[in-house]
Amino acid sequence: MTIATARALPHEPLDTTADVETPEHIRFRYRVAGPSKRAVAYGIDTLVRLTIAVPILMLGALGDVVGGEGFGMGVLFVFLFALEWGYFVVLETLMGGQSLGKRALGLRVVKQGGFPLSFGDSVLRNLLRAADLLPGMYAIGVVVMSVDPYFRRLGDMVAGTLVVSEIPSKVANPLEISPPPLEKELARIPQRPPVSPAEIEAIELLLRRIGQLSHAREEELAGMIAPIIAHRMRARYRDPVRFLALVYHRATGRRS
Amino acid sequence: MRARSLGCSPDVVAHLDGLASRTHNALYAPRPYRLDAAWHLLSRGFPRTLRKNWRFLVVATFLFAFPFVVGIAGSLTSAEFARGVLPTSMLEQMAENYAEGFESGRGGGQDSAMAGFYVYNNVGIAFRCFATGILFGAGSVFFLVYNGLIIGTVFGYVMTQGGGTNILTFTSGHAPFELTAIVISGAAGMQMGYALVDTGGRTRLGSLRSQSKELVDLVVGTAVMLVIAAAIEGFWSPSSVSPEVKWAFAGCSWLAVFAYFILAGRWSSDSERGRFDRRPGSERFSLPPEWTERA
Repeated sequence: MTIATARALPHEPLDTTADVETPEHIRFRYRVAGPSKRAVAYGIDTLVRLTIAVPILMLGALGDVVGGEGFGMGVLFVFLFALEWGYFVVLETLMGGQSLGKRALGLRVVKQGGFPLSFGDSVLRNLLRAADLLPGMYAIGVVVMSVDPYFRRLGDMVAGTLVVSEIPSKVANPLEISPPPLEKELARIPQRPPVSPAEIEAIELLLRRIGQLSHAREEELAGMIAPIIAHRMRARYRDPVRFLALVYHRATGRRS
Repeated sequence: MRARSLGCSPDVVAHLDGLASRTHNALYAPRPYRLDAAWHLLSRGFPRTLRKNWRFLVVATFLFAFPFVVGIAGSLTSAEFARGVLPTSMLEQMAENYAEGFESGRGGGQDSAMAGFYVYNNVGIAFRCFATGILFGAGSVFFLVYNGLIIGTVFGYVMTQGGGTNILTFTSGHAPFELTAIVISGAAGMQMGYALVDTGGRTRLGSLRSQSKELVDLVVGTAVMLVIAAAIEGFWSPSSVSPEVKWAFAGCSWLAVFAYFILAGRWSSDSERGRFDRRPGSERFSLPPEWTERA
């Protein structure tokens, strides 16, 4: 696993992803979860713990009134303790690195290197919450997270863990260009346009959002890249969006 | 990876990444948890790690014991000192608690209530004492000194109010477990903080991570000791057993704890078996994490 630093190669994308290389030399990419998502997940977990704690507290109080004994209180304290320190450890260990809040948001704790979380790692990263939440509202944790390329808080750093976001991915249909490209239009685009794979990817991401953006914004975005490509192949265009669509069609057409 | 170099569209790559990561997780799942592992941690891992890092333990003991002595001495000589450390109402509450002996004992229900409270309070203190060590050890040092001073002051104050024998007898039973556990968690916290300072040629993060296995050993061991302490504190210490028996029990406990720290796990050779963190590919067959990290 590579750690992006100031010395990172310039062509590495400025992205919140973590590359993992398995012992089989298969490489894949995790999308690292940011502080906002994790805060929401934490909020859900807090709510869950509150909804568990409140009825138990009331039961304990009730039991004391009825029974006149402190037994209920004893169990109660042990329970509160378990809820405060054990909630995350138990859930993360049993649910494969997810607490209820994390599951709701599609987050998962993994070991750096992509391994699943073990019990010991979970204990460490959750014990260190006590340091991360100092001096209040997870202030230290948030500061540490925001300077770390992988959004790790102190607990993650000690345990060597990483919270990743699992986006349920769907393979979309091949992009349709509407209206379909005309022979006359395509004639002005070279058979193999001089665009890199990264550029094709960027164009595709833009074209997929056509219709969701305002027209002016579409033109603005397309206008950022279209002149560069047009200059490269000495072509002229009237509508930058259309031009990019045609380039995309030419560049990918021979594959499909 | 091949998909990426072929120039497949980003959603295909994302989908394949998702599949690859799930397969990877399934293949390299952690070893299933067994009771065995817990036993090995307690019988060997914990005392061994403790002995290996005795320097931190010595420092932590001093950081706890010195303020403790200062607290006792200070509040024995002047009540003003005690009032400066703790609010008067709290001190009086403490003195009142120990004014009477425990000949009568407490109700069973009350015992378990207090045991529960001790788990909640004291284990929490120890955990915090450990966790805040990440701040270059500062948090652990603070909690050690703070708790030493507070406990010492309470002892001293209660003694001046005539409850000295009671409080000593009361605490004698669980002290061997509780005080040592708090000192150990402070030592573990300082060890963690020290790893940030003296990295041994690694990156700071790599250095921190190289300690994580030992830290798990120490923290889990401490938690178990504190649970024992809480059980004693809740049920045995306030019981109506005569002081002589309690002192004998305390002596045995101290001996047992020290014998455990010094002797346990010294001779068995299978130190690595049954650890919590073992998994294929991560330790035996690959480089240490700090080597593979391109920092």
